[in-house]
Amino acid sequence: MRITGEAKNETRQRILEAAITLFAADGWHNTTTRGIAVAAKIATGTLFNYFPTKEAIAATLVADALQRANEEFRAGGRDSGSLEGDLFTLVWSGLSNLREFRKFIAPACETIFSPLARPSTVSPGDAIRVDHLELVDETITFHGLPGTRSALAIQIYWTLYLGVFAFWAADESPGQEDTLALLHQSIKLFVESLTEV
Amino acid sequence: MDVGELLAALPEDEFPSTANAEWARLRLREILVDLAQRPTPASSLHRFWTVSELSGQIALAYLTIWIRQWFSDAGAGKRRMMETNLRVALKLFHRLSYLRGAITKLGQAAANLPGLLPQQVADTLDRLHFDAPPMHYPLIREVVRNEFQKGAQEVFAGFETEAFAAASLGQVHRARLKSGEPVAVKIQYPGIARTIDADFRNLSALLLPLRLGKDWESAKSHFEEIRRMLNQEVDYHQEAESTRLARELFRPEDGIVVPRVHAAYSGKRVLTTDFIEGLHLPAYLATNPTQASRNAFGTKILVAWNRMYYAFMPYADPNPGNYLFLSDGRLGLIDFGCVQHYGPEEREIATLADRMSFEDPSLVREVIRRVCGLSADDPAMPEYLQMMEASRDWMMEPLRHSGPFDFGDEGHFQRGMALLADNARKRRTRAHPMYVYWNRSIYSIQAMLYRLRAQIDVHEIIRRERPL
Repeated sequence: MRITGEAKNETRQRILEAAITLFAADGWHNTTTRGIAVAAKIATGTLFNYFPTKEAIAATLVADALQRANEEFRAGGRDSGSLEGDLFTLVWSGLSNLREFRKFIAPACETIFSPLARPSTVSPGDAIRVDHLELVDETITFHGLPGTRSALAIQIYWTLYLGVFAFWAADESPGQEDTLALLHQSIKLFVESLTEV
Repeated sequence: MDVGELLAALPEDEFPSTANAEWARLRLREILVDLAQRPTPASSLHRFWTVSELSGQIALAYLTIWIRQWFSDAGAGKRRMMETNLRVALKLFHRLSYLRGAITKLGQAAANLPGLLPQQVADTLDRLHFDAPPMHYPLIREVVRNEFQKGAQEVFAGFETEAFAAASLGQVHRARLKSGEPVAVKIQYPGIARTIDADFRNLSALLLPLRLGKDWESAKSHFEEIRRMLNQEVDYHQEAESTRLARELFRPEDGIVVPRVHAAYSGKRVLTTDFIEGLHLPAYLATNPTQASRNAFGTKILVAWNRMYYAFMPYADPNPGNYLFLSDGRLGLIDFGCVQHYGPEEREIATLADRMSFEDPSLVREVIRRVCGLSADDPAMPEYLQMMEASRDWMMEPLRHSGPFDFGDEGHFQRGMALLADNARKRRTRAHPMYVYWNRSIYSIQAMLYRLRAQIDVHEIIRRERPL
C-alpha cells in the first residue's frame, strides 16, 4: 500500500505533537523514541523512518518554530530603523515562538547546537544555525555594513546567541524581562564589535 | 579615566594630613578639568558612556573620601588593611550593576551644586538629567507587551518610537490615548528593579570589614534608607500614588501643575501621565527671562516644596530635570518617584524641628537628641549643637531678610556649601535616616534658586504654607 504525502505529513505531525507532550511532562532526558512512538500510536521502526534520533525530533520542533519567526521577520520585521533593533526583533521573535518548548529546550539544545559557528551541516542543529546566521548576515547588509562577516564576528554572534538562548530557557523573571535586558546588551555588544573585528 | 586610576590616586601608606574636604575638592577639580578638556567622542553611544562615567567618577571620588574618613583615626597597620579592603571594595563596587546607576544619580546631585564644580562640567552633567542609555523600539514594544499583553501601537492611538526624555532607569515617550489626549509614557529598563536589593546586599558585605567606630550604625541606617527609596523609585505603582496625592495638594490659582496619572495605561514598569509642554531649567535660562519671571518661578518652586513638606510627603529629589517652566508662567512638576512619605515618628521629628526653627530655639537639644540620637551628656553634644545652630542660622537667612531675598547671592550659597563640606569633614553624620533625602533636597532647592537668581519673599511663603 502506498502512503500518500498527506498521510506522511499527518504521521510526522503526530510524532511531533506526541514528543512535545512527553518532553513537557517527563523532561528531555526521560523521554525515549520508543515512548514517543507509543504515544503517537505507531511502531518504533516507523518513527525511525521519519526521525533517526530524539535529537532530530527536537531539532525539527525548534527549526519549525524558528522558521516561522524567520518568515515573519523577512516579511516585515526589519522595521526598527536600526541594526540593533532589528537583530533584537529577529532573536526575540524566535524565542517567543519557542515559548511552549521552553521547559525542555535547554537540555535538547545542549545536544543539538554546537557552540562552534562552523559552516557544516552535520548535526541536526546545524541547519538551524546556518539559516539563522544567513538571516543575521542579510540584516547586517540591509543596514549598509558591506562585505562578508569575518569568522570571528560570526563566532561572537553565535556565542552570544547561545548564551541568551540558554539564559532564556531557565529565566524565571516576570515576562522573562531579564532575558530582554541580556539580549539588548548582547546585541549592542555584537554590533559594537562589528566595527572592531 | 576609570576606577583603577581613581584607586591609583589613593595614597599607598599614609592618609595625607591635608585630606579634608578642600583636598577632595581640589582633587576633584583636577579630575574634572582633565576630563572636560578631552575631545567629545563622535558617536552618541560613546558620548553617553563618557558622560555617564564622568558623573560616576565624581560620585566615586566623594564616596572614597567619605569611606576613608571612617577610619582616618585608626592605627597605621589597621589603616593599611582597611586600605586594601577599600580597594577591593571599590573595584567590585564598580561592577555592581544597579549601584552604578545609583552613584550616577549622586553625580547628578553634584552637578546641581554649582559651587562645587566648574561651570562647564556642571553644564555637561546637566544633560544626564535628560539623556539615558537608549532602549530601541523593539525592546520598548516587549516591555509594554509584558505589562499590557498588547504592543504599544495597540494600547495607544499613537506612540512615538523615539524617546523624548530620560527617566529613572528608563525613558519617556510621547503617545496619544484613544480619546485623543497627549500623554507621556515612562518605561523602565527591564529587570533593573529586582537587582537593587542584591546590589545592596553585596555592598553591605563589601563594606563589612570597614565598619569602624560609632558612626557605623548611623551610616548603615542611611544605606537602608537609600535602598528603600531606590526600591520605591522603581515601583511605578507607588509613583502613581505619590503623583495622585501631590496633585490633590495644588489648586489652579497656585500655578503649579502636577500631571494626571492614567491608571488604565499604567503598571509596574510603565507609567502614563498627562503630557506637559514646557522648558527645563537650562532651556528656560537660555531664553534670557526677566527678573520678574525668574522670581515668579522661584516662588512657585519654593511653594511647591513647602506644600509637599508640610503635607509630610517631601519632594526628595528636586533636581532641574523634574521641573518644567511653562510658557503661560505655570510650573510643572513631573517626577514623583522620589517622594518620602513620613510616618508618625518622622512627622513628630519634622514638627519638632519646625518648632525649633520658627518658634522656640531652645528646643535645639531636644532636636539633637531625637534627630542625631545623642544624649545630653554625649561628648559630641557641643559639636552637634554648633552644627545644628549654624545650619539653622543659614537656613533662616532668607527669613531674617526683610522683603524678597536674593537666592542668587553667592555669599549665602557659599556659606551653605561650606557648612555642608565642614560637616562632612568633621564626620558629623549621625542623623535620623529621614534626613538623608531631606538634606539633599534642601541643597538641591537652594542650588536651583541660585541658578535662577530668583528673589523671593520667603516670609510670605512660610506665612501661607506653614500650618498654624
